[in-house]
Amino acid sequence: MKIKVTTLHVYDQDKALRFYTETLGFTKKNDFSQGPYRWLTVASPEDPNGVELQLALNNNPAAKAYQQAIFQQNQPAIMFFTDDIKGDYERIKGRGAEFTMPPTDVTGSTIAMLKDTCGNLVQLTQLAKW
Amino acid sequence: MGDLEQYTPAPAYGAQIRKDGEKWTLILARELRHSPEKVWQALTEPAHLREWAPFDADGNLGTAGATAKLTTVASPKPHVTETRVTRADAPHALEYNWGDHNMRWELEAVGTGTRLTLWTNIGRPFIAMGAAGWHICFDVLDRLLSGTPLGRMVGGNAVKFGGWERLHAEYAKQFGIEPPNWPPQAAQK
Repeated sequence: MKIKVTTLHVYDQDKALRFYTETLGFTKKNDFSQGPYRWLTVASPEDPNGVELQLALNNNPAAKAYQQAIFQQNQPAIMFFTDDIKGDYERIKGRGAEFTMPPTDVTGSTIAMLKDTCGNLVQLTQLAKW
Repeated sequence: MGDLEQYTPAPAYGAQIRKDGEKWTLILARELRHSPEKVWQALTEPAHLREWAPFDADGNLGTAGATAKLTTVASPKPHVTETRVTRADAPHALEYNWGDHNMRWELEAVGTGTRLTLWTNIGRPFIAMGAAGWHICFDVLDRLLSGTPLGRMVGGNAVKFGGWERLHAEYAKQFGIEPPNWPPQAAQK
């Protein structure tokens, strides 16, 4: 058994696809539709057969309530790891993303936080080298 | 599963698209070898839909005002939406929604058979996929009503099937849209 797909709820799948590919730099992996349903996933070009992130349309009232609540609490809905958080911060900011926290040293890591344009906060993390 | 190995879908045919700005509608027509009454039953009764349609319904769709839950079948996760039948004129016309897709069916007696036409709005990126999917569903439906079922072939099961890519590409070409990139290379084994 492996962890292969994790789901993130977004309020607009086209907008989310643009953010996660053009702004963050992931690549589209699966995009399949069946009636009103669209299975859309992205993967990291650094690990193309690794974990996929499913960008699921948030049409579920329970998921909407959860998404809005954690957003208002400044809690990230998802976390990505990088080896170059300062470089990524500059690149992603240069593509127009809105950061709510610039790279900040915390215990054991440096983190930054940005909005994904689709209702979520995304955390970038670089682990400290010990 | 019936005679799936002997099934080869015909080339893309009987489809039109209507464009109203960003809103695209697929119109797919088929001549089925069965009476409108029989086809109506297959379009409205949950036990029949389960044999050929890309969704399961938990209630009969044959009465205006009826509501039911529609659940996608063979999709990576089941997707449930509530539908409401807005028109049910048996055995001629049926309208309801599947999520944000309007489904309009017309049945016209032709000899001893039925000319069945589906109108449904699908976004441009997926309209060729929708046409290929419904093409296969209609073949499955026709064989089902003939008593020689192929077995339901929807969602991921339709995509895995050998004729899928050709059919998908043919409809894309007919509609003048870019060739599909589904399934991705990695999924082709």
